[in-house]
Amino acid sequence: MNEQYFSIFIDETKEYLQALNDSLLKLERNKEDIEAVNETFRALHTLKGMAGTMGFDSMTKLCHKMEQVLDMVRSGNLKIDDTLLDKLFLGIDVLDKILKSIIESGNESLKDFDLDELIASFSQVSEQRKEVNKPEEAESKTEESHTFQGKLEIDDSVKRVIESAVSKGFEAYYLKVILEEGTVFKAVRAYMVFQKIEQIGGEILLCSPPVEELEEEKFDRDFEIIIVVRDKKKEEVRDALMSISEIENVVIQNAKVKQMSSDGVNKVYAEKAIAKTGSPEKPEPKAKKRRLTQTVRVDIDKLDTLMNLMGELVISRSRIIDTLKRYNIKDVDESLSQLSRITLDLQNIVMKVRMVPVAFVFNRFPRMVRDLSKQLGKEINFVIKGEETELDRTFVEEIGEPLLHLIRNAIDHGIESKEERLALGKPPTGNVVLSAHHEGNNVVIEVQDDGRGIDKNDVLKHAIERGLVTESEAAGYSDEKIFEFLFTPGFSTKDEASEVSGRGVGMDVVKNVVGSLNGNVSIESLPGKGTTVSIRLPLTLAIIQALLVRVKSLVYAIPIANIDSTLSISHDEIQNIQDREVIVIRGEIIPITKLWETLQIPHNKVGESMNVVIVKVGNKKHGIIVDALIGQEDIVIKSLGKLFLDVKEFSGGAILGDGSIALILNVTNII
Amino acid sequence: MAKSLLIVDDAAFMRMLLKDIISKAGYEVVGEAANGVDAVEKYKELKPDVVTMDITMPEMNGIEAIKKIKEIDPNAKIIVCSAMGQQAMVVEAIQAGAKDFIVKPFQHSRVIEALQKVG
Repeated sequence: MNEQYFSIFIDETKEYLQALNDSLLKLERNKEDIEAVNETFRALHTLKGMAGTMGFDSMTKLCHKMEQVLDMVRSGNLKIDDTLLDKLFLGIDVLDKILKSIIESGNESLKDFDLDELIASFSQVSEQRKEVNKPEEAESKTEESHTFQGKLEIDDSVKRVIESAVSKGFEAYYLKVILEEGTVFKAVRAYMVFQKIEQIGGEILLCSPPVEELEEEKFDRDFEIIIVVRDKKKEEVRDALMSISEIENVVIQNAKVKQMSSDGVNKVYAEKAIAKTGSPEKPEPKAKKRRLTQTVRVDIDKLDTLMNLMGELVISRSRIIDTLKRYNIKDVDESLSQLSRITLDLQNIVMKVRMVPVAFVFNRFPRMVRDLSKQLGKEINFVIKGEETELDRTFVEEIGEPLLHLIRNAIDHGIESKEERLALGKPPTGNVVLSAHHEGNNVVIEVQDDGRGIDKNDVLKHAIERGLVTESEAAGYSDEKIFEFLFTPGFSTKDEASEVSGRGVGMDVVKNVVGSLNGNVSIESLPGKGTTVSIRLPLTLAIIQALLVRVKSLVYAIPIANIDSTLSISHDEIQNIQDREVIVIRGEIIPITKLWETLQIPHNKVGESMNVVIVKVGNKKHGIIVDALIGQEDIVIKSLGKLFLDVKEFSGGAILGDGSIALILNVTNII
Repeated sequence: MAKSLLIVDDAAFMRMLLKDIISKAGYEVVGEAANGVDAVEKYKELKPDVVTMDITMPEMNGIEAIKKIKEIDPNAKIIVCSAMGQQAMVVEAIQAGAKDFIVKPFQHSRVIEALQKVG
């Protein structure tokens, strides 16, 4: 199988599985939502076709069975209920499993799962209901042969054309053309039908399935069309078409348009039937194309390479500028600034190319929330906000797991049971909000619940018990500082009875992942009101603007995104408050750190005035004292490699214009 | 009078097969041609009521031949013979003026139906 087709198949199948989850969730909220039923059906149908083409039989079979069930729902022979929904959700999970197996091994082997059983259970659903509905069905069939309803969906423009054509003395007909069983080259027959209609002076307004699908033989045996024609009786049109070979029957009726009040969809109704056929099958309305913008799929590796090359370019530019500065060559100033501008633009575009909406990762949570709330018997109102916010592709992939932990925690431990909520005078349904928004050069992702919140005294008690802090030390801790204990590995999981238990599950993982992406996590919580966990991430990983600073002869880079301001202070401006060195800037008390102390660099000379870089993490300000400020530069972050994974003070290294190396400070971990 | 037919196919086996089916159905096969050029010549000479035309042939293919014959006689009734998978060619042939098509391997009933339908 062609490699390219394979990857497109994988990508599209993922998209369709996501769409299926979405539409089923929609259906769960409103079981009468016929549009959601149609969406589900269409997605399954397309998936079936795709899987069939690729020769994945299990997937095809399962899709087919599920599609049949959905078709019965569509035709009103089956009602959606919770059991059926659960079964459909299970079906989608299994499809997902099959897909994973295909990705991993190229075949659809399913370990520990009896696919046949699931397929049989779907068959059972459709057959049971069939029996129940048999008499009714038979009845409706006879009725339909008298007043047949076409299900062609038409939009307003077609409707207007029909109306104006009729007013000008044209005839508008609805046609259903049924081909003989076993017709070869169905597409050619369809073409001949079209050709014949044109020959008798008719014009085709609408066709279902659409012409492209007819051309690709994506139809069973019949298709429907609406035509306008002058001075031709129904019989004449029909006879003309019947003269084509392999046409079993042509049903023709006057086309009338009625506005459906319920859903606003126009449907074509035909008045009388002159056909001798039984109930016509309902055609499938065309799946609406979802994509609004034109896109090209690009291998992520290529984007990474592009980004790397971009990085090299930025480094080269810095080196050139550096060299030219050294030799004091003025003539190139203009072209140099031109070069700078272009690389900056290029850099921005490359960065944008790598950006994807967070919806990419948010989309999978509604399904998880649904399963979890069912499992725990809690009612959850899950709201997603700002899913269009864009983020570097790498982040989007990495951030899924931490968010999963946070949402799970919010539902499992944050939101109280229904009874408990009622007793507290809260609405029985718990709210969990997942949101994303831009904030300067950062993206902030928040998971917010209105559950029981975290009791900081409880956290503190545990921290003291575990010897993480002494009682006296903890006395002056802010809420934020206290909640930070929750990120300690294994914190509080021991004491299951505690309110905060489980809050610690995976919180250290969350912090680690976010930290590795140069971001930070913070928790805000009010007992009884709920908890908000905020993840703050830089927009992109690869190239950042940084302030270069010097301690002795060593150069370090501080990401500009973290910097609030820089200033120069004299030594006696440093004060001691509660054993900490602080400075007071415009009435604000800001704790300070001497970088050489943190990094344990021998340093004896302390000059009269000192340079302070004020950094901002969340809403905390902190001063970092350095020997000198060098200047601002675009730097390309290079990972320090696996060996230095546990070096918390640095988030990476960068090659500077003069070819030397600067370590990038991980501000969050330094202060 | 039985309708007269011209069979065009480069394979003698196929011509034989078709001739057999057609004659049994009461039509008169008045001529055979093995390529497009030949077919056009024979059409001028014999003026058959119906032509069965293979698509893939040496010298001049079926579609070219259909166009040529249609130039000579716009009312010519031509049935295209095609193999599986030649869908696009069939459409082309029909655009060129063929009235119907039959697909190999031939089903007797389909061949007869096609003959009747083209009248």
